[in-house]
Amino acid sequence: MKGARENQLLHVLHLEVPFETAQQAQIASKVLTPDPILKPQDFHVQYSCKHSVLHLDFESIDDRVLRVGVSSVIESVKTILETIDEFK
Amino acid sequence: MVNLNKVPPRHRKQYYLALGLEGSANKLGVGIIKHPLLPQHADSDLSHHCELQILANIRDTYVTPPGEGFLPRDTARHHRNWAVRLVKKALQEAGIKDPTDLDTICFTQGPGMGAPLHSVVVMARTLSLLWDVPLVGVNHCVGHIEMGREITKAENPVVLYVSGGNTQVIAYSENRYRIFGETLDIAIGNCLDRFARTLKIPNEPSPGYNIEQLALKCTNKDQLVELPYTVKGMDLSMSGILGYVDSLAKDLFNKNTKNKLLFDPQTGQQLVTVADLCYSLQENLFAMLVEITERAMAHVNSNQVLIVGGVGCNVRLQEMMASMCRDRSNGQVHATDERFCIDNGVMIAQAGLLQYRMGDAVQDIADTVVTQKFRTDEVYVAWRE
Repeated sequence: MKGARENQLLHVLHLEVPFETAQQAQIASKVLTPDPILKPQDFHVQYSCKHSVLHLDFESIDDRVLRVGVSSVIESVKTILETIDEFK
Repeated sequence: MVNLNKVPPRHRKQYYLALGLEGSANKLGVGIIKHPLLPQHADSDLSHHCELQILANIRDTYVTPPGEGFLPRDTARHHRNWAVRLVKKALQEAGIKDPTDLDTICFTQGPGMGAPLHSVVVMARTLSLLWDVPLVGVNHCVGHIEMGREITKAENPVVLYVSGGNTQVIAYSENRYRIFGETLDIAIGNCLDRFARTLKIPNEPSPGYNIEQLALKCTNKDQLVELPYTVKGMDLSMSGILGYVDSLAKDLFNKNTKNKLLFDPQTGQQLVTVADLCYSLQENLFAMLVEITERAMAHVNSNQVLIVGGVGCNVRLQEMMASMCRDRSNGQVHATDERFCIDNGVMIAQAGLLQYRMGDAVQDIADTVVTQKFRTDEVYVAWRE
């Protein structure tokens, strides 16, 4: 049952956010990871770092949920970037 | 006895520094405080006597037009827009050149609106990782209580916490702030705010402030408009009162002369003004608060009351509470002014720093998830005996 549901998350998006250093990218990933997804059966996101680039992989049940979820994560990324820019 | 010096200040300083970040409702607050490292704190019960120094206390409020409330999404956007700028300004005001000197970064973990809380914790986490400064998650209500205790030096008061989102009567017992009575539906500030919205008057600077100002203009104080009085044991209910007083205000605006309470049935003359309604609403609500507070005082054998939260700035509420206390032996009322009553960052720093000094900082960043529901009595109060 669980496998079948996961298979339905067909709407995917991959984003790459470049940072100045690998350490900054790792900070961003650590800041984003703790927050739980409200509807894990409809939406999934995975954060990973490759060197100084933060990779975001979204999977979702439909394009509407995808858009809402992605924009909320992007808002958080903006806050992280601004904080790093100001206080690094 | 409690040892508040369990965790020594970082970098061999002779004082503690804490940054407090508050954003659980429409106010974004950033505060920086300093506690000196004092030998008497090593073995005493002096958590209300930290010799707190406030280095910065900045607030920015998301203001909506009169007649409108604030929505979570817009409030979160406001906080995101301002958070970094406010922290920068606070550090400048406090004269902190090297932020890694901070001992801890304290943030509101709850209760409050989810989206605004989250927008602030994202910055808090980033700062903590950038500067390598430990985080402390603070219960908003405990923040109000600890701030009130430090400012007024009330040692063991019954706390009346009245704000836009909360109405609770709290007393300390065995390492918890226990809730003796609370609202069963809406908070008192919410009740006042929503009535203010009906009257199309603004909700700035604190819940009920403009109603308080209007109530001062009431010329007919002997003749209260009768409203439901809804104390339920130790608890209160306010939504019914709001619905009723709202309908009275609407009848008044629509000149509905059929309403015999508001208009003389024979002549059609108006008997009650908006100011009278505001006055009666305040008297009625505050009388209910005073009643349950007095009962809690009798329960725990205390003669001190500490009023905290945004509605706590209301002078009439403070007067009514004082008159109740005068009738009890040796009673005292403690209240603070708008700098500390209304949500601010300093109170989060104060409660968070006490928590930090007892060794209760966040170990795993996964434990920093914010929560809309966070009861006052969930917090283990290690810093009191």
